[in-house]
Order: sequence, then C-alpha cells, then structure tokens
Amino acid sequence: MKIIRYFSLRNKYMNQAEPDEKDSEPISPDLEKNLEVIKGILHESSDVTIHEFNFGPERKYKGALIFINSITDKEEIHKNILQPLMYDVLLLSNNMDMDFTDIDTIRMNLISMTDNLKVTMLNDLLDSLLAGAAILLINGSREALAIKSIKIKSRSIEEPGTEAVVRGPREGFVENINENIALIRRKIKDTDLCVEKFVIGEKSKTDVCIVYLKSVANPKVVEEIRTRLKRIKTESILESGYIEQFIDDNPYSVFPTVSNSEKPDKVTAKILEGRVAVLVDGTPFVLVVPMVFIESFQSVEDYYARPFFASVIRLIRFMSFIISTLGPAIYVALTVFHQELIPTRLLISIAEGRERVPFPAIMEAFLMLFAFDLLREAGVRLPKPVGQTVGIVGAIVLGEASVQAGLISPIMVIVVSATAIASFAVPAQTDSGTLLRYLYLTLAGIAGGFGIILGLLATLMHLASLRSFGTPYLWPVVPLDLTGLKDVFIRMPIWTISKRPSAITRHDSDPYKQSPDLMPSPYKNDSDDSR
Amino acid sequence: MGKKMNFRIMKLIICFFMLPVLSGCLGARQINDLEIVIGMGVDKEEESGNVLLTAQVVKVDMSGGGAANARGGGGEDSEGYWNVSSKGKSIFEAVRQITHKTGNRLFISHNQAVIFGNDVATEGLQAYIDFFLRAHEMRPTALILVSEKKASEVLDAKPETEKYPAMNIAKLVKTYGFTSHFYEVNMEDFASCMMSDTMAPLAPLVSIVQENDCKEIYISGMAAFKNGKMVGTLNHDEARGVLWVLGKVKSGVIIVPSPNKQGEAILEIIKAKSKVKPGIKDGKIVMHIEIKNEVSLSEQTTTEKLATIEALEKIQEATSEVIRQEVMAAFEKSKDLKADIFGFGEMLHKKYSKEWKSIKDNWDEIYPTIELNIDIESKIIKTDLLKKPVSQNKEEK
Amino acid sequence: MSIEKGKISSQQLLFLIAGFVHGSVLLIDFTVGITEHQTWMVILAGLVITVPVIVSYVALAKRFPGMNLVQINDMVYGRFLGKIISIYYIFFFMMTLSFNIRDVGELYITFLMQDTPFIFLLIVFTATCAFAVAKGVEVLARTSHLFVVTGLFAIISTFILLIDQMDFSNFLPLFELPFIKIFQGIHIVSVIPFGETVVFLMIMGCLNKTEHAVKNTLSGLLVGAVSLFIVAIRNTAVLGRTQTIWTSASFQSIRLINIGTVLTRMDFLIGIAQTILMFLKCSIFLYVTVVAISQLFGLKSYLPLVLPLAGIEVILAATVFQSPVDHATITQNAGIIYSVPLIFVFPPLSLLIAKIRGLPKPERGKGT
Repeated sequence: MKIIRYFSLRNKYMNQAEPDEKDSEPISPDLEKNLEVIKGILHESSDVTIHEFNFGPERKYKGALIFINSITDKEEIHKNILQPLMYDVLLLSNNMDMDFTDIDTIRMNLISMTDNLKVTMLNDLLDSLLAGAAILLINGSREALAIKSIKIKSRSIEEPGTEAVVRGPREGFVENINENIALIRRKIKDTDLCVEKFVIGEKSKTDVCIVYLKSVANPKVVEEIRTRLKRIKTESILESGYIEQFIDDNPYSVFPTVSNSEKPDKVTAKILEGRVAVLVDGTPFVLVVPMVFIESFQSVEDYYARPFFASVIRLIRFMSFIISTLGPAIYVALTVFHQELIPTRLLISIAEGRERVPFPAIMEAFLMLFAFDLLREAGVRLPKPVGQTVGIVGAIVLGEASVQAGLISPIMVIVVSATAIASFAVPAQTDSGTLLRYLYLTLAGIAGGFGIILGLLATLMHLASLRSFGTPYLWPVVPLDLTGLKDVFIRMPIWTISKRPSAITRHDSDPYKQSPDLMPSPYKNDSDDSR
Repeated sequence: MGKKMNFRIMKLIICFFMLPVLSGCLGARQINDLEIVIGMGVDKEEESGNVLLTAQVVKVDMSGGGAANARGGGGEDSEGYWNVSSKGKSIFEAVRQITHKTGNRLFISHNQAVIFGNDVATEGLQAYIDFFLRAHEMRPTALILVSEKKASEVLDAKPETEKYPAMNIAKLVKTYGFTSHFYEVNMEDFASCMMSDTMAPLAPLVSIVQENDCKEIYISGMAAFKNGKMVGTLNHDEARGVLWVLGKVKSGVIIVPSPNKQGEAILEIIKAKSKVKPGIKDGKIVMHIEIKNEVSLSEQTTTEKLATIEALEKIQEATSEVIRQEVMAAFEKSKDLKADIFGFGEMLHKKYSKEWKSIKDNWDEIYPTIELNIDIESKIIKTDLLKKPVSQNKEEK
Repeated sequence: MSIEKGKISSQQLLFLIAGFVHGSVLLIDFTVGITEHQTWMVILAGLVITVPVIVSYVALAKRFPGMNLVQINDMVYGRFLGKIISIYYIFFFMMTLSFNIRDVGELYITFLMQDTPFIFLLIVFTATCAFAVAKGVEVLARTSHLFVVTGLFAIISTFILLIDQMDFSNFLPLFELPFIKIFQGIHIVSVIPFGETVVFLMIMGCLNKTEHAVKNTLSGLLVGAVSLFIVAIRNTAVLGRTQTIWTSASFQSIRLINIGTVLTRMDFLIGIAQTILMFLKCSIFLYVTVVAISQLFGLKSYLPLVLPLAGIEVILAATVFQSPVDHATITQNAGIIYSVPLIFVFPPLSLLIAKIRGLPKPERGKGT
C-alpha cells in the first residue's frame, strides 16, 4: 500500500540531516584558473560562450565574458558591455589612475547596462550565469560582475484557451513572469502594490513572485504565504500546480482551496479585494489565495454585464452544478428506491424504455459516466483534425446505437448528457464535481434518497469546516454575512456593492471601496423644453 | 505515528467496503421487477365468501426501444394492461396471492382507483377498507368507487380514448365538475366520514352499459353508506342536491320551462356557493341553507325573446325552484335511507357541542325531523353570443 | 479548563435552538392521539409554561460564563452530589439520543424506504452525526441557519400548497376535551420539544458574548414553536377527524398535495427536511453527551470518545424498543416522568443555590 509506505518514508526523511550546501569556493584572481573551473563544471556545453579579450589603456588588462548564448541577448552584450570596455575606455584615458582591476570602477563607469550584481562565490556566479546573466571576469580581481541580459522568446499575449469571454479583455497571462507582472501593473497603478520574489526549486530555480496590495491585504495571510513558500524544498517547480499542492490548506479534501486563473483582469480584481496572487515563471496560470467556494461560480463577465442578466446566469450556474453532481444519483435513487415519487405516466415510459436493458440501473449509470469521462479525456488529447469526427462518432455510437442495441435506456442517455453539459458550466469545480458525482451515485445505489441526503450533509459539514488561509470556505453563506451575500446568488448592481469582502481584507482598513450613494439617475435639467 | 495512521486508514477502507455488503441493496427494486397497479377491484366470491381481488397491471411493451416501435407493428390489438385476479380470505392475503400469477410484487403506489363491488358494499366496507389505509404504499389520494354489479367487469371495460381502463375511470370521476352529478371521493375523505358518528359517506356509483358487444362504463350517481354498509343509491339529481348544499357544484346544466311555457330555457351553471347554519329553535333543529349561484343562458328552444329583464327574472326564479326541488329530493331520499349524507350532524356538533352530547345518541330518530330553511338566489350573468333567438321577423312585443 | 475551544455567537445559538425544536416536529404526533383538534392550544400552553424555565437556564449560564453544565453542577452541589446529578443528566442525554436516532430509523422504515435493514439506516445516520461532531460545535453552529431556513421553507410551502384542502371548521368545537387530557398533552409538549433544550446548558458555555443571550434564546424558541404551531394547524385543518388514526399525521397531509399533475407526491421532500433537522438535533445531542462524559472524567479533549459513543448509541437505538408502539407508550408514560426533574427542577434549583451561596466565587490567588 503505497500510502502507508509514504508515511514511513516521510518520517525517515524528516529525521535526516539537511543535505550539505554545495561546495562554495570564492573566485580566484587568476582568470585562467577560473575559466578552467567553470568549463569543467558546465561540462563544456556548446551553448556556453567564453570570450576573452583585452581592454583598458594600452590594452594591458585581460578580461573574459561568459554567457549562455541561447538565453541572452547578444546584441545588448556586444553593444553595452564589450563595446564600452573595448572602445570607449579610450575616452577615459585621461584618468589614468583608474584601477581597472576593480570591478566597481568598471561597473560604475563603463558598463551601460542596469541590473548588475557583484559576485564573489563560485556558485552565485553559476546561478546567475544559468539565470541568463553575462559574467565579466577580470584577471586579478576576486570579484566578478554578473550582468542580467536575459532574452527569451515567449508567446505573445493572446486569449486564454480555458477562459474565453464574450465581453471583456482578451488578454491572458504568458509564461514569462516579468510580462505577467507588467500586465498586472498596467491595471493597478498604485504605490501600495507590492511584489516580492522568491526562488524555489533546487534545480529549476524558478522565480515565484507574490503580488498584493499592502493597504488592503490581510498581513497575516501574507505572512502565512511567505512561510509556506519558504518551506518548500523540492527539486523543481515546473508549474503553479506544484506550488498549489505544496501550500494547500487541506490536501485530503476534494475541494480546491487555492484558485487559479489565466486572465489578468480576474487576478487584478481579486488583488483589489485583498487577496494575494502567486505568479510562477514558466506558466500562465496564476494562483490566488485565499479562495472561497463561491468564487467558483463567479466569472468576470458577471461584472461587465448588467445585473439582471448576470444574476440569472449565476443562478443557472448554481443549478448546473447541482445537476452535474446530483443528476445521475437522483435518477438512480428515484427509479430504484422511490418509484412512488415519479408521476404514473412517466414511470410507465421509463419502464418501457428499460425493458430490454440487462443491467441494473446503477451499473448502467456507472457505465455511462465512465464512458463520458473517457470521451472527455480522449477529446482533450485529440489532434485537431481528428477531433470533430471522433466527437460525432462518440455521440452517435454511445448514444443512439447503444439505445437501439438495448444496452442502455434512452432516459439514462438524457440524464448523463445533461450531467455532462452541466459539468462544464462551473470550471473551477470540474474535478471535485467529477469525484462527487461518483460518490453520490454510489450512495444512491446503496441507500437511495437517504444516502444522498446524508452524503449532502456530510459534504456540507466538510465544506463548513474547511478554511482557506484562515477564511472560512463557505463564507459568506455559512458564517452569515449579509453584505457579502450581495454577490453570491444574484449579482446586485455594482453601485450597491460598496464594501470589500470583510473576511478577506484587513480589519483595520477602511471597508468602503466606493461611495455608497452612487446609484445612477437620469439626467435632470431645469428647463422642461424637451417634452 | 506512521503505524497508527496505517492501521486507521486500513480500518476505514475495510469498513467502507463492508457497507454495501451489509445493506445488500435490499431496498432496491428495479423498475422492471415491479408490477405497476393502476386500479383495483374488490368483489366477493360466491361459493366460499372469500375476497376476489382484481388488479389492473400495466403491461410494458416487450419490444423496447420506445413506444413508437411497439404501436406500429403487429396486427394484434395489444392491450397495455392486464387484469389479474386472485382469491384470499382478506385483502392483504389476496394481494400476496397474486404473486402466484405475476411473479413480481404488486406496486400499488400508483393506484388510481379502488372499486368495490356491490356485494362487498352491501355487506359492509369496514372489513375491507383497512388495508387500503394502512398500507404504506397506498396513497390517500386514490379514488374510491362502488360498482353496480361486479368490480372486475368495470375493470374489463376497454375505453376508446384512453389506454388503461383504470385511468379512464379516474378521469371520469375527476371531471365531475362538468355536470356536478356526483363528486370525487378519495380514501382520506371516505375514512374521515366513516370515523364520524353520524355522517354517511358517499361514493360514486359506476354502471356498465352494454352496447353491441361493446362495454361502456359511466357514472350513474352515488352510493350512500351507513356504518360502512351501502344502504342505497342517489341518482344524478339527488346527488346534485347534496352538492348544492355542500357547495361543491362546479358547473352543470339546469333546464327550466320558459316564461310563457312554450319551450325551455337551458342554463349553464357558472359558479355556486352555499352556506349552512345550524340552529335549534324550540327544541327543533333547523338548518338555514343559503345557496347563491350564477348561471348563463346557453340554449333556448323557443323563439321568445328572453333577453329582457322580466324574462330573465322569471327564469331566475324558475332556476331557484329547480334547485330547491333537487335539494328536497336529496333530503327526502336521505330520510328514506336514514343516512345523514349532508353532514348536518357534524355541523351541529361544531356549533352546539353541549346539546350535541344528548342529541347524538338519538340521531336516527331526530334526523327526519330536521327542518330545512332554504334560501336560493340565482343570477343570470350572460347570454353567450346571441341577443335574440333565430326566428322569423314577426311582430315583436 | 474547558474542553471545547470554539466559540459561537448568540445569533448562531438562536438558529441552533430553532433547528433543535423544529427537529421534534414529528414527535407531536404523540400528543395528537390525546388532544386531537386542540393540539395547537397545547403547543401554545407548553410554550408559555416552558419560557420561564428556559430563562432560568440562560441566567444560570450567564452566571457561570464559559462553564458547561457538568462544571456548574460540580460547583453548586459540591463534588460528590454534583457528579451524581451529572450522571443523571448523562443518562438522560444518552437515552434521549437513542430514542431520537430510533425515530429517524422508524421514519424511514415506516414511510419511505421499507425494505432497507433497520440497523443499516441507524449506522449510516449515526456515522454522519459523528463526523459532524468530530468537526466541532463551531461548524454545527455555523451551518445551523441553513437548516432552519430549509425547514421553515418546507413547512411554509406545504402549508400554502394545502390551503385549498383546508377546512377551518375542523377546529370547532373549541373546548371539547376534558381538562385531564389537555393537561397530559401540555405535559408531553413541554417536555419533549421544549424541555429538551436543557441540553443547551452544555453549549451556552461557548458563547463569546452573553449580553443578548436571553433575547436570542427566546427568539430561537419562538421560531421553533411557530413551526410546530403551523404544523399542528395544518394537520388539523387538512385531516380533521382522521389525524388520530394515522401513525404520522404530517406525512399523510403532505401526501394529499395534488396540484396540477406536477406537484404530487411531495412526501419525500418532507422526509428530506425532517432528516436534515433530526440530523442537527442528533448531532447536538451527541456532542453534548460526549462533552459531558469527557468533562466528568476530566479528559483533555472529547474527540476520542465520539466514535465509541456513537457505536453504543447505535446498539442502544436498535435494541431499546421492539416497535413504534413500544416507543410511543414508554415515552408518553415513563420517559416524561424521569425527565421532569432534570428540566424543571434542577436548573432553577441550581440558580437559587448559586444566588444564595454567592457563586461563582472568584478564587483567591488564581484567575477565573
């Protein structure tokens, strides 16, 4: 049993001593020796360029420039590092007493690039080199200069595939963390926006940034995130999903307590409410904590559309979540245990449809749900040209033909199709919805309506006890908060929501984000000549 | 910590897997294992005195794949139902005996109507009605009917516009409002009347008309019970008389002679209300009945112009007279049968609870001495589409 | 010092009490057999009689803030006698909890799912209650308002749907029954739905602010009583004479709903609402029992006792009675008698003794 083995291994690992730091040597003044060492460590990779040159007055100083040419901007290096050193130094020939073995002199006077850093230890040098810096080594100096000159081709900003909207900005985050921060900065031009950087992952050394508004976010939450991020000691962070699983509040729960998004306007709106965003280099999915359950049902479009329509759509989303988790379970419970609750004529039609089916209703339901999940999974992996065909074949085969052959009843097809369609209406909860669907179906098969009710009660108790970074998961419904309820089941007009959500922001700041009396009114003018 | 955690998880997993085995899914009944009963009939068997129970069971088409396939094929007139019968000493025993013939248990939650045969009704329903109230599958909204002869014959009569006879019967009873010649009685109402000391329950009476090999059923009136035994029947007019007093008239037809006696005016009842106030005057019980109704002129067989105020007033009076006759007919019949079908006893009980204690023991003698004080008000509120009847243009008065 | 570390607000207490009283809705069928169409009067009278007693509970809880019933008993009656009285209370809690769990099982066995084995229903239900209790009283308190809203919605909607079948003359004559029957009815009503709120003496120790406790408790009681009242009126108006013969008058009246062809067969919805509220009631009972026993034995936390006690309760519930007839007879005759001292005598007595002795005395040298 792997899970048992995990626990025993965990105990063993925790009691081990911390692994030693990599041996860290200082840089030696001898240029040749440095270059030998560096070449050795980097295993002579072909994309590492080592350029030795002479510079200085009378060309008496020797230097070397090391960079990885696949990730750095060669033009910048040539123009702003080599050129000043090799040519422009002549302009400074007046000050002959400048010591060009001193890295500081060169840094302050010659290098016309910003973002440079003095390094004295070998592993710092290698870290910077691998992170895209050009290293300037000078014969006779114990220090080297790491000049950041990274240039990586990344995807251009385009509409995110998973969160398309009808109305609203069509920008999505990209894989480069700096561009992502830029997208956020463009929307919040406030001095209180803080960006803190962490580097996580031994081998991947991924940049992870947290972004929050200092005046609005709860300092305890920020502190908690910092602690949790610093606690992660793993080899690589390839996607924000890794970070999500490490900082999760309740890893054994089906429901996610960390939300993610690809759209900058959504993340910005959440930051403005007092949440903290976690950006991870290499992935466009940005994490936002804390998360409450209601967020899965709110979409950004609700706020751009007018209130009545948005409220109706939101109610439809709630209904579809209920249908997608409880649909098959209720159908099985009604037709197997509680036939007296179905109107007579409907019962007769269902009986007619089920006449030739050899399976009991529960097995039928399980088979159909499984077939649907299979289809969905296959559909994601299909190459585009084949996708359409297989979709149609799947629908026809699994639907019509199975009914004709007498394997499943037509009503089951309808129920499962409705479930399937409804499960996509609430994207954040598709994974938990799938698991819950199977759970309720099992309970319905065992104990009918009673089982479903108890399953619902147990789920409710579990949800009510979940906390996401201190915020109750079912806020504002369960710790009842009437001002918070304005945005839950229906979306009240934007000029009524004048306070920030109280469970998320800090308690000592002003709760009002806009003046409460902003209701729009028609144009009033004094003269009545327009009648 | 590790070992303890292992053990706890294993225990949980084992418990979880035991759960379905424990329950054995025992409550589960697949739909196709059910015999859906839509009508039941109770008769008495002549030889042994046992109960003959007829259950009308829905027959599900065997071809599957939807109803469309089933109806299209085959020249044989496939019925959608099956009348299965069995005998037993009591109703519950007969119900279980049916499994000798069907193999599946009966599912009586969808029972639309229970029909009691004439012999059972005259013997007394007390012995037979308990099952229908106590069975948890049975719903109190099921209708109760009495058949003029045998209940199994009623369930055999195949209707033309409806697939199942039992549903047809239920439909017939539920649409009583069109003529108001009877009313629908469900199990709950019947039981409630049976519990009362004085009130006589009523139930619709079903008769069969044989027309050239084609049996048709129709509701011919109501049956009156006393102490659970059927004591008599009420015809359409008498039944409507009861309905006038109870305020249950919904719609119907009243025929009155026209003012100059040349023909008839036919009126449709639009609305009817009634109020009954019991009173005790000089030791005599008087019931003040007030009936208000609204009618419309739907047909006339003469050519006189009835759309004048005087003519309408005369017609209104004639209408009230007809209603009064119906009510008195009902009352006379109830006096004959010695059955309190109007519920006057209960009304007295509610108003005069002290006197009621002494009255209720002699109710059978006191009932015929009740005086009815009937006050009827009819109003004609419209004459439909014609202002004047179709006639040649003679001198109009 | 205290086992429960969570705090609840007094508004949550309101909903807890309302849901608790409402959960006993089907238990008024006990009284209907005795008081027939005058049940509504009996409920009102029971409410009026129980209100002063409940005010005394709140006063007692206010006097000993942060302490639950077992601790209060210890302080007021001294170590030995206090423990005896606490054991009496624990006996009451355990027996009543098993009666309630059995009630839920009987509800399903009689009406909704007849073929499922009885013990299976009990096990699954108690397991869910145990799960909720293990999460703590805060979670229960937080979700209680959802349950109360569901229950009220169910009751009011069934009332509205049955209006056309109601006959308000069923309430006449008004004062027909002899007084002895009314008295018996009042006795039952004041003990079973209203008197069981004595369990809240264990929970009131967790209130974080006790200023509005009296108002909120009485409001909660009122809300619960209103729902009982509406149910009594609905049953009498719809069923009239027959309500005395059905095992459960509420279910039968709901079965009569027949609007259009769509809104029929609603009895399962009432089953759902009733299950949810009984779940709340049983969870509160289980919690109170577990905390009382842990407090009695001086344990640090009540969590280890939850599962064993749940198991004991299941066995008790399955074996204590033979049939619903047994259940009804014993509860009506014996159950009420032994509960009366616990509900009506001991708390006011404790309050009186506390006032006389000037408790709680602040201990010299230590903080409270």
